[in-house]
Amino acid sequence: MTHSCIYLDYAASTPVDPRVAQAMIECLQAADTHGNPSSMGHELGRRARALVEKARAQVASAIGAQPQSIVWTSGATESNNLALFGVALLHADKGRHIVTSKTEHKAVLDPLKQLERQGFTVTYLKPQPNGIVTPEQIAEALRPDTLLVSLMHVNNEIGVIQDVGAVGRLCRERGVLLHVDAAQSIGKVDVNVEAMQIDLLSMTAHKVYGPKGVGALYVRKTPPLALRPLLYGGGQEGGLRSGTLPTHQIVGMGAAFALATSEREADAARLRSLRDRLWQGIRAVGAVDLNGDPEQRVANILNVSFHGVEGESLQFALRELAVSTGAACSSGSDEGSYVLRALGRDDQLAQSSLRFSLGRFTTEADIEAAIAAVQREVPRLREIAKLSP
Amino acid sequence: MSDPGYSDLVAEHFDRPRNVGALAPGPGVISGRAGSPEQGAEFRLTARVVDGRIAEARFQVFGCPHCVAAGSILTGMLVGKDRDFLRTWSWRELASQLNLPTAKRGRFLILEDAVRALSDNWEKQF
Repeated sequence: MTHSCIYLDYAASTPVDPRVAQAMIECLQAADTHGNPSSMGHELGRRARALVEKARAQVASAIGAQPQSIVWTSGATESNNLALFGVALLHADKGRHIVTSKTEHKAVLDPLKQLERQGFTVTYLKPQPNGIVTPEQIAEALRPDTLLVSLMHVNNEIGVIQDVGAVGRLCRERGVLLHVDAAQSIGKVDVNVEAMQIDLLSMTAHKVYGPKGVGALYVRKTPPLALRPLLYGGGQEGGLRSGTLPTHQIVGMGAAFALATSEREADAARLRSLRDRLWQGIRAVGAVDLNGDPEQRVANILNVSFHGVEGESLQFALRELAVSTGAACSSGSDEGSYVLRALGRDDQLAQSSLRFSLGRFTTEADIEAAIAAVQREVPRLREIAKLSP
Repeated sequence: MSDPGYSDLVAEHFDRPRNVGALAPGPGVISGRAGSPEQGAEFRLTARVVDGRIAEARFQVFGCPHCVAAGSILTGMLVGKDRDFLRTWSWRELASQLNLPTAKRGRFLILEDAVRALSDNWEKQF
């Protein structure tokens, strides 16, 4: 693969694994898979359906679920919306209070803001300074009218892992539903919806070396959990998500999730070693903070605050690296990442922070080049910004 | 354009800024400072005055790439100028030269304040 710059933004999106692309191409080129997977009355429809069901089993297997509990969507944003609105609008009679954290993805926070406008009350928990929301915090926030807890498994900006298993146990004991946004988890950490007692779990393909535009929502089947759909129409996916199923996208997601399961441990061990080398190299410039818990984190994300440099200059100086800032906007807006600010970082430091996220195709040479760029540019920028008295 | 948000001129002066630093205080050395990181930029200018004209100038800035480029270009431009130049200098021409986004105008007004502070310091010293 050739890149115009060094790609260290895997937490934003991943390249499609060539093996996934091959599976999708075969699906698109085959003479007998273009039928509508819902056209069960003829052979071509049934062949497409078989591919969809194979992928459903692959995705279910990656999270320890039964295939019939998987609903195809367009991605994690839709999955989150379906989970949150689906529960809230159908089960409002059981309570109108929802608990979440301040460091959730916008695809959870914004639907919840909308639900607040519709009469729901939402408690936004502030995580500990290490980014972790403790089960005790959740327990304290639960009320008799709490309907749902929504907590992400792995934070997209800082990579910390929430103890969703403990939260699952707590919610099950208290009769509260648990939704987990697992967009960043698959292929990085173990996910088992049964063991973790998760009722709803959002997934997406494009963070797992699959295509963009396809995702899934796990919906607990035993006992069955009913949701109100977002889309109405042909009644696909048991009426939960109308719309013709995109066979090739689904095949890609299935293949990607199968690889994520089989290669997770090898990927994680390699990435942990590369990430540790990167952190060692970055730390050498001094006056840097690692954001998020140093232990309870995924292997591929490193979020670092650089003291003494201005955020936009830092990003431009490192433009040979494709990395993310938490900043909302690179010019004009001075608002730093809301996730880092929730951890207690001040605005200025939140702006001078970068997320390096590694992935399956990151090489040692990429890491060494990234270290060289940081070690060259950060001291240079500090020299320019060092305003002597 | 080396980057959608920055012109080649900004990139050139950001990557290889001229006149970074500060002149040590001493006879004929003037300084001016304005802004703060919270305001989006903080500039510090120093210059050596010889026979009523600026002989050399330096800058430091906590700011975005446009601000770094502005400090680099401005300090080059100051050499040979008299105090009237500092008193009347406006940020607008430099902003246009660097294709400054509208949202960042406030940062160049801070630079103008730093130039005025340099001028005031000149008046105080001579």
